[in-house]
Amino acid sequence: MTRALVVRAQHGDAEAFAELIEDHYDLIHRTAWKWCGNRADAEDIAQDVCVKLGGAIASFDGRSVFSSWVYRITLNAVRDMQRAGKRRGKYADAYAEVTPEDQPAEQEAAMTSRQLWAAVRALPEKQRDAVLLVHAEELSHAAAAEIMGIKEATVSFHVHEARKTLRGLL
Amino acid sequence: MSGDDMHDDPLNRLKGATPDPRADAKRRALAAGMAAFEASQKKSSSAAQGNDWGQRLTSIINSWKGKSIMDMRLPIGTAVIALLVLPLGYQLYSTTSMTPTDVAVQQPVQFEPPATEVAASEERAQSTVANTTPATVPKTVAAGRDQDLAAAPPEPAPMDDAMMDTEMAREAAPVVGGNSGIVAPQQAQSMAPAGALAESEAFYMPSPAPVPSVMLQPTAPSGDTFTSFDEQRLKAVADEPVSTFSIDVDTASYSYVRRQLEDGYVPEPDAVRIEELINYFPYDYPAAQSAAVPFKPTMAVYPTPWNPKTQLLQIGIKGYVPDAGEDKPSNLVFLIDTSGSMDEPDKLPLLKRAFGLLVDQLSANDTVSIVVYAGSAGVVLEPTMATEKARILGALDQLAAGGSTAGAAGIELAYRLAEQARVEGGTNRVILATDGDFNVGIDDPDDLESFIEAKRDSGTTLSVLGFGRGNLDDATMQALAQHGNGNASYISSFREAQKVLVEEIGGTLDMIAKDVKIQIEFNPAVISEYRLIGYKTRALNREDFNNDAVDAGDIGAGHTVTAIYEITPVGSGAEMIEPLRYGLESATGSGDEIAFLRMRYKLPESDVSQLIEQKVTPDLVYGDIGEVSDDMRFAAAVAAFGQKLKGSNYGSAMGWDDIEALARSGKGSDESGYRSEFIQLVDAASLLKPDTGTDPCGVSASGEGCE
Repeated sequence: MTRALVVRAQHGDAEAFAELIEDHYDLIHRTAWKWCGNRADAEDIAQDVCVKLGGAIASFDGRSVFSSWVYRITLNAVRDMQRAGKRRGKYADAYAEVTPEDQPAEQEAAMTSRQLWAAVRALPEKQRDAVLLVHAEELSHAAAAEIMGIKEATVSFHVHEARKTLRGLL
Repeated sequence: MSGDDMHDDPLNRLKGATPDPRADAKRRALAAGMAAFEASQKKSSSAAQGNDWGQRLTSIINSWKGKSIMDMRLPIGTAVIALLVLPLGYQLYSTTSMTPTDVAVQQPVQFEPPATEVAASEERAQSTVANTTPATVPKTVAAGRDQDLAAAPPEPAPMDDAMMDTEMAREAAPVVGGNSGIVAPQQAQSMAPAGALAESEAFYMPSPAPVPSVMLQPTAPSGDTFTSFDEQRLKAVADEPVSTFSIDVDTASYSYVRRQLEDGYVPEPDAVRIEELINYFPYDYPAAQSAAVPFKPTMAVYPTPWNPKTQLLQIGIKGYVPDAGEDKPSNLVFLIDTSGSMDEPDKLPLLKRAFGLLVDQLSANDTVSIVVYAGSAGVVLEPTMATEKARILGALDQLAAGGSTAGAAGIELAYRLAEQARVEGGTNRVILATDGDFNVGIDDPDDLESFIEAKRDSGTTLSVLGFGRGNLDDATMQALAQHGNGNASYISSFREAQKVLVEEIGGTLDMIAKDVKIQIEFNPAVISEYRLIGYKTRALNREDFNNDAVDAGDIGAGHTVTAIYEITPVGSGAEMIEPLRYGLESATGSGDEIAFLRMRYKLPESDVSQLIEQKVTPDLVYGDIGEVSDDMRFAAAVAAFGQKLKGSNYGSAMGWDDIEALARSGKGSDESGYRSEFIQLVDAASLLKPDTGTDPCGVSASGEGCE
């Protein structure tokens, strides 16, 4: 069904595209939330991704699963935003004094410790992506590899490296 | 997963749910996505000139050259699948429950059987239903009934049945068609849009005879949000002799209502705030003489046009107008939304021209800065003297809508610039212009309001200009402007921009009094019942009146504010509330005074309120509505219009023709043309929501006001 929608959207069918992003919004938002850890950023990224999908759907080549492609775009958006965030550091400070840091979701707090999330989010990009895709999104190493555009073995390696980095916490 | 997963892997603690996305954020994101999609479609279709494949045309064969199987963008296999899947997908799409509701809603309307056939098809339907699908139908009917009840609570029972029957007829129609194989999908399809169906019939059924086609879509198809509120109720003077409210000089509701009506939609009842309708029009009340007592009330009592037994008490206030020579410095910061959704002719382009108008009004001691948020973020123009018009207009001109929403600290930045260019003794104001995206950097509405309040207390106020339609968040607009001691206006057209930013610029920028509260005490010996028309969202508690800490509305230079009470004199026979059998003998009021007016206000620089008091005496009473001033008659017509448009419990019996005639009689010289425009609006409304005679809210799909 998704495949049919994609094809229709690529042919310019707005309704199909609407349905497509409607279907995938939750995935995008959830991923963005896991990667950033607060609502404001998650929503911004999700919107950003929807916009990007609108522009890029025509160039989706069907070689990977559509959801993998969406993951990839979402992760890129997260990365772009976090890089831009570093440049915007001075504004971010002013921003923080106005809004207290978003409360992490209760469910999240109940399920796992905040430190673990913080530590995972602080990992180098590749390691973080690998860990979150495999453990938070519960994807197979193969699927994670497809999303990250690397080999399966490399995913395992990144997860392994991440474990080493996190050893103190685990 | 590979082997390095252990039994109690701590990383597995990363599993788990994240909070659900917020609906409005999702809606925005989807809308932005759609906009981008459509933009890219437009681009690709215009780029197609010359060569479909988007490549330079070199030779026919060349386009295949250098492409291995691996590199083919659209492998032939995919193309074949696409050809197969596309019609199949469409088939599925149009025959199953995948069908979106809007498609389904249109179909039944087309199939609507003529009135005379309803009975027949009903019978057929019932018999077939009984024969073929006894198990599923009761469920459908139950759902239908629920929906009907929800959509049209005030409808009498027989009407309910009629609706259910046609609903059943429709459900059964495919069954009659004979092919029992398709029963299931059809059933599913008609179940899904039942709500919409019932709703479309709620206004369809009362008059099964031919109905003008405009009535098929009278409510706005908008995504705009409004604070919902109930009307002010009728109150007995014996129970509650005192009525307290805050003034309101906003006019956003009228602009919105006008736009909806002009486009052929009846605005939703919550969008109609009667006080804003009344206050949209300039009235020629006598102005106060000095800035120290910045206004004085003008009052009159005259017969109610929609009820011969009651009277209207009208209170008008006009703010002091400073001499033209007095030019207070102003320091304005435009905080402009440049999100993708602003990229429509009636949004960002209109906004640019509107601000251009505003800049033309400013003089050498004024400064302007521009901050944008969403899409592009940051300072576009540092505080600049208003005389450098070329620079300001240039900066405005460069603004472009697009991209996603970056949660930059837009509002914080705007206030920082306002601080930086602060002028003492003048106006320091942030003017937020948006189509409804308020993610200005503080995403919790309460935080945002308290932030704005804190800034207001340190002297920087906030006005909000709303643009466009579909995304408009009127509720937030109002809330922010009220917390920021500014105004909320809805700019629907260039003409409206001219009214708000040129003609009323004084009122918009130059506040002459703040926290203006009005309290009326009625004399129970003379008045038995009263009702304040409008101002529901501005009601205050009785004790708030003397409490200077309670915030209220502000009034600008030359602003006029009008409030109207419908009052029932004792013994007029129009009382709706039964007097208390064991109540106190309440005729303790002194003399023949009708009521007593108290007003509190603070001068702009002061935190202590001043009091104005005035009696409402019998010499203010006019026996005939023809004797009062044009302004009063016109205001009464606007009030009647608002009530009728809202489907109010009160005053709906007055016909559109009568309202129009009353408005015409109060038109006066009407130099600005707003009143003529209003009269045309009454005309439009009378077509969209015709008088029915018996049932005051029968034709309205939005019958909330008619419980």
